[in-house]
Amino acid sequence: MNPITNTDYVTILPELVLAAFGLIVMLVEPFVTKGGSRKPLGYLACLGALASLAATWYQAGSPYTQGFFKMVLVDHFSVFFHVVIALVLFVALLGSLDYVERQHIRAGEFYALMLFGAVGMDLMSSATELVLIFIALEISSISTYILAGMRRRVAISAEASLKYFLLGSFATGFFLYGVSLMFGATGTTSILAIGPQLHAGGFNPLVFAAVALMFVGLGFKIASAPFHVWTPDVYEGAPAPVVAFMSTAPKAAAFAVLLRVLFAAWTPGWFWPVWISAALSMTLGNIGALRQTNIKRMLAYSSIAHAGYLLVAFAASKAADTAGISAAIFYTAAYAAMNVGAFLVISHLAGEGERFVAIDDYAGLSRRQPAVAASLALLLLSLIGIPATGGFFAKFYVFSAALQANLVGLTILGLINSGIAAYYYLRVIVVMYMREHPAEHEHGHGAERITIPEGVALTLSVLATLYLGIMPNRVLQLAIEAAKDLLR
Amino acid sequence: MMHTVLFIIFAVVCVAAAINLLAQRHPINSALSLIVVMGSLALLYLLLGAEFVAAVQIIIYAGAIMVLFVFTIMLLNAGEEELSKSSRVAIVFGVPAVAVIVAALAYILSRGAGTAALGDFIGGPKEIGRLLFRDFLLPFEVTSVLILIAIMGAVVLARREER
Amino acid sequence: MTTNLHLWLIPLLPLAGAALNGLLGRGLSKRAVAIIGVGFPGAAFAWALVVASRFVALPFERIPYTEYILPWIAAGSFQANIAFYLDQLSLVMLLVVTGVGLLIHVYSVGYMEHEGGYYRFFAYLNLFMFFMLMLILADNYLLMFVGWEGVGLASYLLIGFFFLKQSAANAGKKAFIVNRVGDFGFLLGMFLLIRHFDSLNFADVFKAVSHYPVETAGAGLLTAISLLLMVGATGKSAQLPLYVWLPDAMEGPTPVSALIHAATMVTAGIYMIARSNPLFSRSPIALTVVAVIGCLTAIFAATIGMTQTDIKRVLAYSTISQLGYMFMACGVAAYSAGIFHLMTHAFFKALLFLCAGSVIHALSGEQDMRRMGGLRKQIPWTFWTMTAGTFAIAGFPPLAGFFSKDEILWKAWSTTALRSVAGPALNYTLWTLALLTAGLTSFYMFRLWFLTFFGEFRGGSADAHGHGDAHASHSPHESPGIMLGPLVLLAILSVFGGWAGVPHALGGSNRFDQFLAPVIQSSSEAMSAGQRAGEPQPEAAEEHAERNAELALTAASVGVAAIGFGFAWLFYFKRRDLPARVTAVLGGIYDTVRDKYYVDELYHALFVRPIVGISNFFWRDIDVGVIDATVNGAAHASQDVSDSLRRMQSGNIRSYAGWIATGAALVIVYMIWLGAR
Repeated sequence: MNPITNTDYVTILPELVLAAFGLIVMLVEPFVTKGGSRKPLGYLACLGALASLAATWYQAGSPYTQGFFKMVLVDHFSVFFHVVIALVLFVALLGSLDYVERQHIRAGEFYALMLFGAVGMDLMSSATELVLIFIALEISSISTYILAGMRRRVAISAEASLKYFLLGSFATGFFLYGVSLMFGATGTTSILAIGPQLHAGGFNPLVFAAVALMFVGLGFKIASAPFHVWTPDVYEGAPAPVVAFMSTAPKAAAFAVLLRVLFAAWTPGWFWPVWISAALSMTLGNIGALRQTNIKRMLAYSSIAHAGYLLVAFAASKAADTAGISAAIFYTAAYAAMNVGAFLVISHLAGEGERFVAIDDYAGLSRRQPAVAASLALLLLSLIGIPATGGFFAKFYVFSAALQANLVGLTILGLINSGIAAYYYLRVIVVMYMREHPAEHEHGHGAERITIPEGVALTLSVLATLYLGIMPNRVLQLAIEAAKDLLR
Repeated sequence: MMHTVLFIIFAVVCVAAAINLLAQRHPINSALSLIVVMGSLALLYLLLGAEFVAAVQIIIYAGAIMVLFVFTIMLLNAGEEELSKSSRVAIVFGVPAVAVIVAALAYILSRGAGTAALGDFIGGPKEIGRLLFRDFLLPFEVTSVLILIAIMGAVVLARREER
Repeated sequence: MTTNLHLWLIPLLPLAGAALNGLLGRGLSKRAVAIIGVGFPGAAFAWALVVASRFVALPFERIPYTEYILPWIAAGSFQANIAFYLDQLSLVMLLVVTGVGLLIHVYSVGYMEHEGGYYRFFAYLNLFMFFMLMLILADNYLLMFVGWEGVGLASYLLIGFFFLKQSAANAGKKAFIVNRVGDFGFLLGMFLLIRHFDSLNFADVFKAVSHYPVETAGAGLLTAISLLLMVGATGKSAQLPLYVWLPDAMEGPTPVSALIHAATMVTAGIYMIARSNPLFSRSPIALTVVAVIGCLTAIFAATIGMTQTDIKRVLAYSTISQLGYMFMACGVAAYSAGIFHLMTHAFFKALLFLCAGSVIHALSGEQDMRRMGGLRKQIPWTFWTMTAGTFAIAGFPPLAGFFSKDEILWKAWSTTALRSVAGPALNYTLWTLALLTAGLTSFYMFRLWFLTFFGEFRGGSADAHGHGDAHASHSPHESPGIMLGPLVLLAILSVFGGWAGVPHALGGSNRFDQFLAPVIQSSSEAMSAGQRAGEPQPEAAEEHAERNAELALTAASVGVAAIGFGFAWLFYFKRRDLPARVTAVLGGIYDTVRDKYYVDELYHALFVRPIVGISNFFWRDIDVGVIDATVNGAAHASQDVSDSLRRMQSGNIRSYAGWIATGAALVIVYMIWLGAR
């Protein structure tokens, strides 16, 4: 009798689909005409992203099924993150089609790595076994290390890749050591088995050390202070569409793991580390962003700040209360929607060799490319948290939950921070709309029209941001369902 | 008792070799230190009753991988490393921080060991095989994706870019 | 029969106008743009009138009328919908905003004629109307907040309308950032409401609040919520200490100043407080704070207004001062008086701004009053309408400003709503300062009037730029009819608009107060009988005494207005050498006031500099310091990884690892301490 049934395969269907498409992309690459356009590979990869979305859709029909000897769990939680990851992947792939050609990046490996990376991220959100989570985390991390270094003609890209790799391995070491201590303390690495054991109380104090170590490792992946130091350098050096991808999808997956470890496994003692990390991330991120002249670095700091807001929701989560957790889940989706779009605009405007990434290069954009400027303005307003955008509701839920949980200090700090943040996002809008570019009339500067795939990607991101801002209820309900499943 | 004494001896050797690995300026010396680290680790596994893992450790790490390392170093004819710029932050904060981490973990480990007793997990090939191809089948299979990515990374990053 | 008012039409019409002009306007003729830009708000006003006529006929139990549009969000038991809420208060606001707004739109057709980006201007203006109407009609705080932020955004777009003008861009940014401070309070207030009432719906919250006692003993929950909401209101309504953005906002085109920064948006804070009156009335402490802030703002801004020479800045400080009056009215629990003043102020201040715009238009962009003078003859229509506005704001009977201001002064004198916090001394102080402000208002407005329209023309023919170079610099000329029409209508409203609320003491019946009473009353029931905030109901004999007192106070306020006029006449008409001499005598004091008490500089030193300093430290010493070392080192565009890696200095990788290790050590030590306890 075969102990692995069809149900088991369904639980990893999206991952299977992505891996299959990754292989197909690699196999097809040699057959694409030499010197010709590499776009067909990109479209194939996009198809893979959509297929994984469809596979997730299929999974959603039978939520809460376990597979592979309780290694993975398909529930509303995993489905939510699978959808976010698949959509981000799709949008980022669409946005990279022209970029890859423009920057002469090896297309086959690029697309395949994106797809394989997504396999790891998907597994991170559905795995309930720390060993599997670790392997998935490594897949996701290593593929992003390589992707960060794919601008082979540019030194800072290689530098970014190496920095990310060395520091990332350092952080992964912490996570792995945490897993092994957890096993030492509880005799199991299954989150679903750890939970009841810890809940029963009277556990080994080693658990605290294990949680601390895992928190350090995951803190690095989500770029929360004080483990954020790598972010600006890596985002600056990595190819812009890769940043669009890696600042959202692996981060969402890492947040999913953190949610599982902290809440599904019912681990103790995380409150103050999360509190302090949230406060530090918000403050250091926003202060760091204020004076940046490079838009990629600015958004890197902004992403640190957003990780901080997200951690506020973590701190606001209490047992048997879904408010904080669902706020965090909603925030992940909203943040993914707006940030992916913002980096795609950067990728579109960067030009060959990413020469135009200074904020000053955006001067007069509203006249050169009104639609792109308007999209970026909207995404930045969403990052500020202006109503009618996803960013507003995300912050609203988070801080509302924080105040419900009596985190007065953190709420006030967060609101002050989002006030400071308005300044630097606004600066970009001011530059785009109210300043003239000295070389405005020169030919060839950023005059390339947006291509159709880029346009579609940007539109999707803008629409998602608006959807989450105007009609947030549906996604919020899904987030609440996900939170309920997580605590089940 | 005997076990404990042996364990301490090999643990000390392991740590000393690891430090030596970092301290050596010539790559070949570092590689040789690494072999010592791997070897003593294998012995530690053996002392813990994980015979299979110990054997695998010797065959794969000390054997295959280290041979590859040494060959690569020889073929590339790598010379002495230059010392790169040091960092004030690392010396002022980093090194003490690492010391503190080690001390704190040592403290908590000495206070209360894990609940598992030695011998609870007999690491024979049969048990390992059953775990690996049944309960942990998925992680085992997924590792292939990891390896594939690692190979691709090596290819992508090491290949000389055509102009 | 159930009447459906179709309230959704009112905000949607301007939105449609904005969308049409914004998306298609580039290809349309100016005429078509103007028709769209004015037509849609016009239709909204027309529908608002229909709504008003139907509303009056609604049976009592259907007020407040709510119109449910869409479900919006639900989290747990908390729910907020997209729904509209119409009661007497929102109806008044609705008519003021659509009516005055429409007139200003019409005026803009002429004023912006020669400016570029005509379609964009109207698109933004209509967008502003949409958000403002959402703010007014919202049935919960969250939807109100959407409008609240939206008007801020539209205002930001419109201040920065003169693109490529650095000062305008900075002013827009300043307005936005300062308002974020206010939003901070508003949001916290909302979070507290959710936490304790699990709702943001006005009806639910006010019903829940009605079970709470008045917090006379000390500060409680309602005081906290009220004070936080008040912080939001001080931002939007430009009160101390957050008023600093409004004078700078005058960088925008004059119709924008009239619409947003005088008549509508800045009154949103007043509206919000009046809307939240059940909360505020239960917190004497919050009321006192509101009253004191309003009163101080009124006199503070009035003193600055006396020294400014830019015609729009005088009006800006005057607006802040008048908003202070409204704030104070809310603070003494005389919400209807505050809204009454809001309405009359919308009339005469919009008029004054539009007249100022007409003057600026006539002088081809000149805004400095020192370079004006004697314009009475050249632009008679502007002169006469502005005269109506000036007398109205100065508080001469029987013009609009007289009645509303008088009502506030009387309430400040007579209210007992603050008794649990302070004795009658507070009333007298508030009243005295407010009276003094009235005198100052009269002085600086007539100063403006004399400087602009009387004496000799001091402008010369030196060309002045700023408001479009399209106007050739020739002698002053009257504005076209499309600009004068709104002036005349607003002048009529400024003259007669106050008759809606003639107080009892002057033989009227104060219909305005009675109309709003249902909105306010529900809360003033919280006050013990006889202590009613809305309308004191004393015994017959006392009534007689009160009436005499009220008449005496009225006489006093008319008196100070006349004195203000007298001084202005003396200084700026009769003895024109006097101002210079007085200035010389006052010396440093005068300079301090003229330089706006150095508040901007103070804020800069207190808030901006430290943040920028810290940021610089992070940027220059940590970020750039580390990065430059590596990036420049590797900047020689090496083509191979091996090359670049060799060149790369790994110093900062070590630093980064050091930081991570430090953080990790802190987390681990803390957790182990926790575990070992």
